[in-house]
Parts: sequence; C-alpha cells; structure tokens
Amino acid sequence: MGATVHSAYRPAFWRTFWTNAVLAPRTSLGFMRLDFVLGTIFIIPLTQMVFFAFVVQLGNGDAAQIAFTAVGNAVATVTYTSVFSVCQTTDTEKQQGTMEHLLVSPANRFALYLGRGVIPILISFATVTVGLVYAATLYHVSIPLSTVPGLAVSVVLTALAMVGFGLLLGGVALYLRTSIILGNIFLFIGLLLSGVNFPVSSLPLPLQYLGDALPLTWGLSAIRGAIAGDSLGTLGLLWGAVALSGFISVSLAMGLWGVFERRALATGSIARF
Amino acid sequence: MTALASHETSRTRATGASLRLAILLFVADPQWLVPSTIAPIVFGLVSFELFRGEGPYFLTYAILGAGMMSMWGQTLYGSGWATGQDRFLGTLEPTIQAPAPYLYVVLGRIIWNVVAGLFGGLIVYLVVVLAAGGPPQLPNPLLFVVLFVFVMVTLASVGVVFAAAFVYSRYAGFIQNVGEFAFYIGTGCMFPVVLLPFWTNPIALLFPPTWALDALRYVSIPGYTGFGWGWEWDLVGAVAVTAVYAALAGSVFTRVERHVLETGQLSDY
Repeated sequence: MGATVHSAYRPAFWRTFWTNAVLAPRTSLGFMRLDFVLGTIFIIPLTQMVFFAFVVQLGNGDAAQIAFTAVGNAVATVTYTSVFSVCQTTDTEKQQGTMEHLLVSPANRFALYLGRGVIPILISFATVTVGLVYAATLYHVSIPLSTVPGLAVSVVLTALAMVGFGLLLGGVALYLRTSIILGNIFLFIGLLLSGVNFPVSSLPLPLQYLGDALPLTWGLSAIRGAIAGDSLGTLGLLWGAVALSGFISVSLAMGLWGVFERRALATGSIARF
Repeated sequence: MTALASHETSRTRATGASLRLAILLFVADPQWLVPSTIAPIVFGLVSFELFRGEGPYFLTYAILGAGMMSMWGQTLYGSGWATGQDRFLGTLEPTIQAPAPYLYVVLGRIIWNVVAGLFGGLIVYLVVVLAAGGPPQLPNPLLFVVLFVFVMVTLASVGVVFAAAFVYSRYAGFIQNVGEFAFYIGTGCMFPVVLLPFWTNPIALLFPPTWALDALRYVSIPGYTGFGWGWEWDLVGAVAVTAVYAALAGSVFTRVERHVLETGQLSDY
C-alpha cells in the first residue's frame, strides 16, 4: 500500500524530464523568446567575432591570429545560452513565486534540471555551428570535411558540458539574491581565461589553473583539436576532459541544490526573491 | 510671466526629482553597476593582451575602448530601463498624466545613467591600469578631460533618443542584449571606425559617440589615423549630430505623450 501511494505521487523520471524540457523555455529559462534565440544563434557570434578580429587587426595580428580569434569567439558565444540563460532559472522561479512549489514537489531533481537543459543544449549546438560557419566564410578558417565528425562530437560535448556548468551556476544562484551578476561574470570570463582570443599559456599560472576549471577551456581545446585534424587518441583525451568537466559541473549542481533545498526547507529564507 | 516661470520650474523640478530618485535607487542597490563593468573589464584586459608589445599608446586604446564600452553599456541598458521601468512598475500612465513633460522625467534618469556609466568607466580604468602596471601616457590631459566630458554628453543624447524609441518598441531587450556588440563595433569603441569597410562609415557617423571618440583618440594617441578631417571637425560633427538627437528626442517624446493620452494603450506590452 505504501509503495502504491509512493508511486502514485511520484512522477516518472522521463515525464519530469520531458515536461521540463518542453516547458522550461516558456517559463523559467532566460532569454528564450524567438527573437532572442535567433539573435543568439545568428547575430551574436557574428558581431562578437568581428569585434575581436578587428581588435587583433589593430594590434597588427596576422591572418593566423585572426583565424584563432574567430574560432575562439565562434565557440565562446555558447555561453549566452548555456550559462547566462540556464543560470537564470533560479531567479525566474523566485520572481514568479514558484520556487516554494518546486521545493516541496516530489519530482526527481536530476530529471527536472536535466530536462531544463535540453533546449539550451540544442541552441548551444546551433550557435557554435553557425559561429564556425562564419569563421570559415569570413576568416577563411579551414575546416576539412574529414574533420567534421570529430568536430561534431566536440561541439556536442561542449554544449552538454557548458549547460552542466550553467546548471551549477543556477545552483549557486539559489543562495544569492540574483543570478545576473554571476551570469555576467561567467558569460565573459571565458574570453580571458579559456584561450578564446590568445593561448592560455600567455596567462599567469594561477589564471591558467582558473581557466582549467572552466568547461569552455576544454571544449575549445577539443574543437580546435578537431579542426586541426588531431588523432583520435588526442581527441579522445580532450573529449574525456570535456565530459569530465560537464559531469563534475552537474554533480556539483545536484549537490548544491540538495544542500540549499534542505536549507530552504529548514529556514524558509532563501526561496524568495 | 508667473505662469511661465512656474512651468519652467516644474520641468526643472521634475528632472531634479527624477535624478534624485535614480541616485537613491542606485545607492540602495549599487550591485547593478557590476554587470555593466564585467564585460568591459574583460574586453579591456583581452585587448591589452592582444596589443601587448605594440607600443605605449596601445594601452590608451584598450583603456579608452573598455571605458567607453562601459559607458555605452550603461547608456544602452539604462535608457531601455528609463522608460521600461514605468511599464514594469505600472507607473507609465500616471507619470505621463503629470503636468511635467515625460521627457524631463526620463532626462533625470538618463543623466544618472551617464554618471553611473562614468563610475563603471573608472572601475574599468583602474583594473586595466593595474594589469598594465601603470597609467597610459596622455600628450594633452586637459583637452582629454574636456573631450571626455563631451563624450558623456553625446552618450546622454543617444540615451534620450533610445529611451524614447524604446517606449514604442517591445524589442528594447533584444536591441540591448543582441545588438550590444554591434554598437561597440559601429561606434569604434576599441578600434578606429576607418578600419571597418567604407560603406559602414556613414552609418557609424549617425551616432554622436563615433565623432566624439575619434576626436578623443586624436588628442590622446600621437600618430592616430582616424577620419581625415581631424579632431576639430570631429567636434563640430559631434555637436551637430547631438543637436539632431536632442531635437529628435523632444519630438518623439511629444508624440509619445500625445499617443498615450489619445489611446491609453502604451502599457500594453
């Protein structure tokens, strides 16, 4: 009897997953209006890439440096959807007054948060793909057909890992008054620490370690490696690093949500905006 | 005579009160300055790294560009919110019904946005200077300061026009977030506009900060190659375009007020 009641009130894993995948873009994810999504996919990669390409040109950078920057920024724009949009789910829940309901719901948390990441993963994939097309078209970045399968795996893994990182920031944001500042920091910090515009080795050692903690650094390395036609062995190691960074992000996110949920239920003090 | 005097006073008081409220709101929650400084700080540091070894005046490019981006960002986001906040809080109709023209209420908010942008610019300046290990060399500091203040005036004029346009648009958020880089490129924040394809130059010159920034670089970077007419004509151009913006803003706001009083539909988002 007890088991029957339990199963009757606990929604199935996949039901929670799909419900959140479908509803989150309309409810809790930030910047999911169609115009924003299209702008994120088609305009931001172009403008960000052009901006930094001109900065490199002003600094007397050669074509190879410009191409390096173009690829870096094509990939870095993934943060708009995967980090900035995803980490705002917490803010939205608080603003809309649905956080309390969420905290007392029996829904599987992993299914719930993973479901929210589905659309951002797809948009992130599209953003990087369009960005790389711009890089190839405008800055003559050579992407041979033979490298496309490896590149596709790298881009998908990067999108997954970055959304995992966005979920982690969303977990941290549960404890903060707003996620906007956190979102802004991690929206742009990769441009400095992840080897987007110049090799990570140019940075002081402590900053290199910080950069290593960001999934974007590994994702970008894997994408650059794939474009350069690195061997499957080398790429495999990079893919492993990207997957590991995503796994760690999601695990930490789940851990953080668990801690803050317990705190919210115990004190009733952090579920409100 | 008395009626005229009280009319003028009402406008000044509306701007003053709006400015005061904007300051108080900022002081109550100054953390909102942070988001608009993060991107310029990162861009300033990235540019500094990309310009490394290119000569002493490239530091000026990085600092000037990053500071300008901070002020631009604050203007762009602040102007959207200058009118958007009335919609969000449901105060658009009451404010427009008040005897003081809406333009003067918005003006107070925009003035504060520009000043707050200056704070952001200062933070950016300090961070990049710390990273670079020293301040940039300025051949003519006094002229630089005068022109810098003028850049702020041009930004304010753009802010008022944007605020007016955003009343009519549901796309303020889109323009601010998606178009942010386009504004940085189009006005030559980090590099001279002359580096862009020639066909883009006339579009860039529609924005007063493009002229003002070009003038600022002429006086702060020896050997700078911007628009061929030099900083004096840049200044003339900036004044002219700013005047057009001011006139445009006044006309749009008058139209907005008339529209809302006639149809009462402006709050419908």
